[in-house]
Amino acid sequence: MSAASEAIIYSKKICMLGTFGVGKTSLVRRFVHRLFDDTYLSTIGVQIYKKEIADLNSAKGRPLGVNLVIWDLANIESLTPATRTHFNGASAAIVVFDLTRPETFDLKQIHLRTFLEVNPGAQVIFVGNKTDLMAEGPDEKALVAIAGEYDAHHFLTSAKDGSNVDEMFQALAANVIS
Amino acid sequence: MTEATTIDQILKAQRLGFAVFDREHTLLDSNFKYSDFRQASDLARGKVGLWQVFPELIGYEQTIAELLAGARKPLVLEKLNQLDRTDRLQYYNLRVLALAGGTRSPARLLCLAEDVTEQTALEQEARQQRYEVQLLQSQLLNQSQFLSGALLGQSAKIQAVREFVGKVAQYNTSVLLQGESGTGKSLVARLIHRARHEGARPFVEINCAAIPETLLESELFGHEKGAFTNALASKKGLLEEADNGTLFLDEIGELPLSLQAKLLTFLETRRFRRVGSTREQSVDVRVVVATNKDLKKAIAAGEFREDLYYRINVVALTLPPIRELDDDIIQLAEHFISILQIDMKKAVHGLTAEAKRKLLSHSWPGNVRELRNIIERAMIFTTEPRITAAELWLPDTGVQDDQASDALHIPAGGLSLEELEKKYLIASLRQTGGNQSRSAELLAMSLDTFRYRLKKHGISIQAIH
Repeated sequence: MSAASEAIIYSKKICMLGTFGVGKTSLVRRFVHRLFDDTYLSTIGVQIYKKEIADLNSAKGRPLGVNLVIWDLANIESLTPATRTHFNGASAAIVVFDLTRPETFDLKQIHLRTFLEVNPGAQVIFVGNKTDLMAEGPDEKALVAIAGEYDAHHFLTSAKDGSNVDEMFQALAANVIS
Repeated sequence: MTEATTIDQILKAQRLGFAVFDREHTLLDSNFKYSDFRQASDLARGKVGLWQVFPELIGYEQTIAELLAGARKPLVLEKLNQLDRTDRLQYYNLRVLALAGGTRSPARLLCLAEDVTEQTALEQEARQQRYEVQLLQSQLLNQSQFLSGALLGQSAKIQAVREFVGKVAQYNTSVLLQGESGTGKSLVARLIHRARHEGARPFVEINCAAIPETLLESELFGHEKGAFTNALASKKGLLEEADNGTLFLDEIGELPLSLQAKLLTFLETRRFRRVGSTREQSVDVRVVVATNKDLKKAIAAGEFREDLYYRINVVALTLPPIRELDDDIIQLAEHFISILQIDMKKAVHGLTAEAKRKLLSHSWPGNVRELRNIIERAMIFTTEPRITAAELWLPDTGVQDDQASDALHIPAGGLSLEELEKKYLIASLRQTGGNQSRSAELLAMSLDTFRYRLKKHGISIQAIH
């Protein structure tokens, strides 16, 4: 492969934020391993996943890719010095809400403001997860309002049936290298 | 013991793995054999960089540069986790520090990975339990929000029920709920309770027909140790459990006469005695009672005390059967779908038009309870995004809508209503696997009436089931 056509691969750290049980781990596992298991297993500490997204775009005739290092953070409700250290160096946050539990839409609990203080300029994407459980179609209002407040993209996803999961990570990847 | 062996012993005891990198972040040395932390083969392929061995340090480039410059304290990342070679979740603490270089040797980077799987597994277990409880509470809260929306519908009859709940909730008076089996008397009792008590006040429910007469008194009023054989310890009764809340006595018409007198005394004085006790106690409880029996007939038959009837009949409401609620049936059915799809984790988004028509044409002898069961059964078996008519298994009640009943055909030779009743009694028992309570519900009669009719027709459950 000539230097001109050799892919440029970036490495970017992404943090998954959201209260317990919203489906952070399920979304990552669906994206990285194509797996879903609806048994709830709480995460302790940080679970780290890696996934490369190739052929995103091209720059100066060279294909672009991104190596996403995804930090699935647990116990985000209690902000500790360790939490700030974990946020450090992230290019983006995926903020996940459970559409079936309105109380998960509380941004104070997930310390998004702190995340953005540690990583000014980081991208944020808001995700309403568990669309598969919504009878009359998901109510996007709360999600749209929060995304609008941060001038950010939002997605409705289902880790269970995979809908919009790849699209969400692809959009994020494109954003973090733009 | 050689120095190398001593270090090995220390690493093994601490389950520590290490890796050393030069200033250019190239791996110089490593030992992960006691920590299972990284596969040795990954580290033996020529020139290996820091980010390949520790992708978790991506994003910490600035921090690492400061470390190597001696400008900051070690970086500590606690409780990271990954799947090990056997797909087992492995927890580790990662400590990154600079090894100071001498005048001629530049600083190097030391990464220490300490395996903390065993300690963390315990913490994980405790947290799992706590979060599961919180998730359940959250689901209950949502169900309770569903509960508040449970008196769905626009029909005048349902609006009257809503109005009733709103009014009686303001006062701590006794309430009598009447209506056919399955019309939602228990739900209305809960709504009255919730409308009055927003907080975590007790709502205690007992079905008077479900508990043997001999136990009912001690269940309701409690007992003292030694009050009767097997009373090995004192026990609070449901009245005490319901203190500051609501006691819901379902099927009050089945309450034995002896207990009716004791209940009447309590309702009049708010005081009672546990079985075997001489000490009177008082509690602050709202009593809501329900029955599908005609209590006036029961009074005439000497089965129910008239004075108790007037005491509980301060405010009364007769709940409408759902066949009188017209299109509200569809709203109720969709409400059940929305609850069940979360419980069952199944994406079902309503009913097809044909399914709606089928629901509206049924006579619903089992009322809301029957509707819920039908929807639940359909939810289990459906593979479609909307429940279809074929998936709604409606028992042939023989009772159609008014127009259909006009078209009922009576054989030229006539038929015996007695024989017809016997057939339905047997069919209900077969359908419920011999469960008398459920059979009685299916036929919209009380358990006593059902048993009486079984006896009258000489039907043996054993022979059927």
